[in-house]
Amino acid sequence: MHALAINAIDPRFVVGGSPGRSARTWNLFAVSAEPSVDMSALIVAIAERRDRQAFTCLFNHFAPRVKAYLLRMGTVSEAAEELAQETLLTVWRRAEVFNPDRAAASTWIFAIARNLRIDLARRERRPLPGEDLTVGGDMVRPDANLEAAQDEMRIRAAIATLPADQSEVVRLAFFSDKAHAEIAGDLSLPLGTVKSRIRLAMAKLRALLEETS
Amino acid sequence: MTPRHHPSGDRLLEHAAGQLGAGRDLVIAAHVAVCPACRAEVRTDEAVGGALLDSLDPAPMSEEALAQALAQIERPTPSQPAAPTPSRPDWIGFSSPALERAWRRRRWAAPGVWVSTVTKGPGPARTYLLRVAAGMSVPRHRHEGVEFVTVLKGAYGDRGELHQPGDFAENDEAVDHKPTVTQDGECVCLICADAPLVALDWVGKLFQPIVRI
Repeated sequence: MHALAINAIDPRFVVGGSPGRSARTWNLFAVSAEPSVDMSALIVAIAERRDRQAFTCLFNHFAPRVKAYLLRMGTVSEAAEELAQETLLTVWRRAEVFNPDRAAASTWIFAIARNLRIDLARRERRPLPGEDLTVGGDMVRPDANLEAAQDEMRIRAAIATLPADQSEVVRLAFFSDKAHAEIAGDLSLPLGTVKSRIRLAMAKLRALLEETS
Repeated sequence: MTPRHHPSGDRLLEHAAGQLGAGRDLVIAAHVAVCPACRAEVRTDEAVGGALLDSLDPAPMSEEALAQALAQIERPTPSQPAAPTPSRPDWIGFSSPALERAWRRRRWAAPGVWVSTVTKGPGPARTYLLRVAAGMSVPRHRHEGVEFVTVLKGAYGDRGELHQPGDFAENDEAVDHKPTVTQDGECVCLICADAPLVALDWVGKLFQPIVRI
């Protein structure tokens, strides 16, 4: 997958970037331990010039992960494949609402997949994540303006440093189709313990983001 | 106006992680759409979700999945849902096709009251719009399970607290109340209740079989 990903890096958007976008984003190439592609730049490439190669790269990386996510959430295999497909098609169709200063590619795609899954139950479409950021005026606190791509790296690093009991509940909080009470039952823990572990872990991750952004 | 009554951090996390059912999710989404503070918190939670998504072991897509996606993106993009605007001009800045449909289907339920179902389930749970005229009270009642409420228009008083447009409330089984709409004008709320409310006075006992909430 990495070979394909690297081939898909288009020097036009890796080197230059568009004016106003943080130069720091590109430094990820230098600091990353393994070959990696700036996924946000790929979405921007789709928005700016319908770049099919960028789409292929995003698809190869994210579709199988979105499918894995949906399977964990209890979606049956066929529907998971279809929804993963639909998630990536939504990325193509709506790439222009993606704001790389606001969210990492993985965050936006996670939110799209999550909404499609909920909407499948509700059978309706709702505004995409990214669009709803502007509802009610753009009043987001400045400290919420994350250097999105860097944050993702930081969050990942931070999740890795959480004590095992905390990282387990955070994963379960996102990746099981269960309320916190059921998670507690599965782990044979009191609900209060599960809730406080989730809170503690999320507070750590949040503090980390606020201190560095 | 910025809302003053918010969902708990646990509820926001469940919303960000897609753990709430469609009905509860919609009630929270309505609040989040107009609440910058909660939106910032949800965005941080989503960033954690995105980072976790990225670190999942991929579930392979079928062999033809990419080819199908590439064929799909060649086709003209289907029409998109309109940019988010309030469902009604005088409601808070949140829209959803389900709310639109419910508003059109609203039916008279009692003098000064209309009700319209947005979505049903799971089980006896129901999500609905409730309109109550200025100065009127909902007869005294309590709840089985939990009720989520977001004010879409107008305001009501409840146990000494004023709930205004965008405000969120979660009422559990311990709550025994008689919310009263302010004199300023009608109040429209989006409500998701686990079960029909339990009337506690004779007015309510008369009112409930007719209004069916």
